[in-house]
Amino acid sequence: MAPLPEEAVFFDGISARRQVVRVEVSSDGRGLRFGRELWPLDRLRRIEGEGLVLALLTPGGDELPHDPARLVLADGPLAAWVRAEAKGLSRRDVRRGTGVKVAGRIVLAGLALAAILFVFLPRISDMLADQMPRAQEVAFGQAVLRQVEGMLGGEGRLACDNAAGLRALEKMERRLTEGQGLAYDIQLSVLDHEMLNAFAAPGGHVVILRGLLEAAETPEEVAGVLAHEIGHVEARDPLRLAFRSAGSAGILALVLGDVTGGTVIGLAGDYLLRASYTREAEAAADDFAHHLLARTEVGTEGLAAFFDRIEGMGGDVPEFLSTHPSSGGRAAAARAAGGAASRPVLSEAEWQALRGICG
Amino acid sequence: MDHTGELRVSYRGDPAKLFPLALGTGVLGVVTLGIYRFWAKARIRRHVWGQVRVGDDAMEFTGTGLEMFLGFLMAVVVLAVYLAVVQLILFAVGIRFVLDPQNQMEEIAQGISIALSFLAVLPLMLFAAYRARRYKLARTRLRGIRFAMESAAGGYMLRGLFYLLLTVVSLGVLWPLMTYRLEAFMTQRTWYGGARFRQGGRWTGLYSAYFHVLVGIGMLGLAVAAGVAGMEWQAGLLGALGLIWAMVGLILYRVRAFAYLMSHKEMDGGLGFRAAPRAGRVVWLYIKGVVIVGLLGGIGSAVIFAPLATLMAGVEEPSALMAVEFAVLGVAAYLLVLTVFGALTLVFISQPILGHFVESVTVTGAAALDAVRQRVSDRGADAEGLADALDMGGAF
Repeated sequence: MAPLPEEAVFFDGISARRQVVRVEVSSDGRGLRFGRELWPLDRLRRIEGEGLVLALLTPGGDELPHDPARLVLADGPLAAWVRAEAKGLSRRDVRRGTGVKVAGRIVLAGLALAAILFVFLPRISDMLADQMPRAQEVAFGQAVLRQVEGMLGGEGRLACDNAAGLRALEKMERRLTEGQGLAYDIQLSVLDHEMLNAFAAPGGHVVILRGLLEAAETPEEVAGVLAHEIGHVEARDPLRLAFRSAGSAGILALVLGDVTGGTVIGLAGDYLLRASYTREAEAAADDFAHHLLARTEVGTEGLAAFFDRIEGMGGDVPEFLSTHPSSGGRAAAARAAGGAASRPVLSEAEWQALRGICG
Repeated sequence: MDHTGELRVSYRGDPAKLFPLALGTGVLGVVTLGIYRFWAKARIRRHVWGQVRVGDDAMEFTGTGLEMFLGFLMAVVVLAVYLAVVQLILFAVGIRFVLDPQNQMEEIAQGISIALSFLAVLPLMLFAAYRARRYKLARTRLRGIRFAMESAAGGYMLRGLFYLLLTVVSLGVLWPLMTYRLEAFMTQRTWYGGARFRQGGRWTGLYSAYFHVLVGIGMLGLAVAAGVAGMEWQAGLLGALGLIWAMVGLILYRVRAFAYLMSHKEMDGGLGFRAAPRAGRVVWLYIKGVVIVGLLGGIGSAVIFAPLATLMAGVEEPSALMAVEFAVLGVAAYLLVLTVFGALTLVFISQPILGHFVESVTVTGAAALDAVRQRVSDRGADAEGLADALDMGGAF
């Protein structure tokens, strides 16, 4: 039972003239007839607005496959009839090939971003890092250390300063660095934090966290880890990493939009603390450590033992192990590199002093 | 004056309709890690545009979330290259001062490097501002006829930089020149179907709107003079007063400049506008909105956080797994609260203020509309993607 004809407003999509038309249901009951127009029900689409605003589906169209003409029906019997009879009224039509186009663009954008993040940025970062004057790098490293201290402990300084402990630490440092022709003047320190970790900051700073001293059973193990970190320092890994995070932090913020608010800001510092160097950088640092330990006659057994212990612990893996699947493999590599210990790094008394450096 | 050809512009916003839409799309945005925000924006605009009526006819927004998403993908790649390079260079230069300045020289250097990193995106922001307005117009229709804006973002960017420089060098005195010229640049490239818009009036006509800002600037100048002369407390007092005066003056200026510029726009065929927004009303709507958002948002946060807090209080010694679960729940609750506040702000602050500006406009000489013919569609290359990527969207 078709409703009676009604007056409606029609915009023909050609001129902005407002045309009042008399709309009736077509004789076959499958369309709306008004003026010289006949709009079939199955091609009617609803546009958001008051009353019932109708557009006609066309294969061409512009941003939507709709004809620009609009028919505005007031809410009434005719509008109710159209709502009930026109099945595709609220369908969101998509052109053929849209899926492929969208997938293609996503892949392209992904590839471009990946190229920027993993090829372009690392190259430029390395280039800029290599050109940085040493004095500036040292100052930057100090600033980074202050930031890391703040992140670990909040207020106050965390640096441990027990006098006997510092003497033991210095002795270990001298054993590893003296006469080795290192490019950096290594600045060694211990921070009072329970995390089992050690990391290198730009400018020759190497930091051990108290948790590592507690987990290690001999001074040779600590020396092994130190040798690994000195390897990072000599390869300028911390500075390169800082440059990379400076370049990529903004890109991440871009992609995520503002949903996460300011959370991305803290990313750069966090990145440094968790320092995920590349696999090659880790391997190079291990290799450096093996040679250094052999030359200084500390021996690689300590480093190997430490790797074994970490493997046994499972769970919390410290930074300098994180990018490698198996510390067992690294322990074996360290043992194979050989280099027997000639004399201990520290005496038993000094070792106890070092472990008590945080008082 | 001929009053027969006048059309009132009205806004029929209803909080009860917009809020569920804004909240629902906001939650979807969080769930999809921000991807849905483009579709959210399209849906909200379709709704809001539909509430604007010129005479009896509603505006229509025809933009789609998909095209905005694709435009964004494109913009991100372009921006990524630009930002990565600019950031790296600035980082290399400012590395010593950015984190921790040691003396006054370094503090100045730090300030400069921060200002530089802002300046680096400034041209892009101007470019994006033009593109965003062009996209919005290209997707706006009235009476079935498209609006459009010519492609001239590059020219806009250059002029924007020039007038910004003039404004800074003149200590703010030439701001109205910038406002007028940039608005005129855009208006003269705006079309409704085959009819072109023109910006009438003169830039000096904006100075009566700018008066109170000038007073504020004058006071700040006096404060500096007093400071140099060694009259410290007078300088402080004048400075504070001048700052407040200039801020309030700026609100007045925004509202009155809109009125002046809108009232002096014309379209081919003799169509014009009359606009009389009231600054007091805008401020009142803002204050009222902030109170409502604060109250409702407070209740909303309580409803969201209370169950979580109860749950946590019941646990005496949380295991590692439980700690992780609570952390995830906490983050989810936090994002939900942010979404609620966002939706409330849109509904109770942005919408009423938009409504006031819209309703303050009357169209004159509306008979000219009947002669307007359709124009071809504008593909709108980046569909506002650049503006979105730079996070300069504004409320709508």
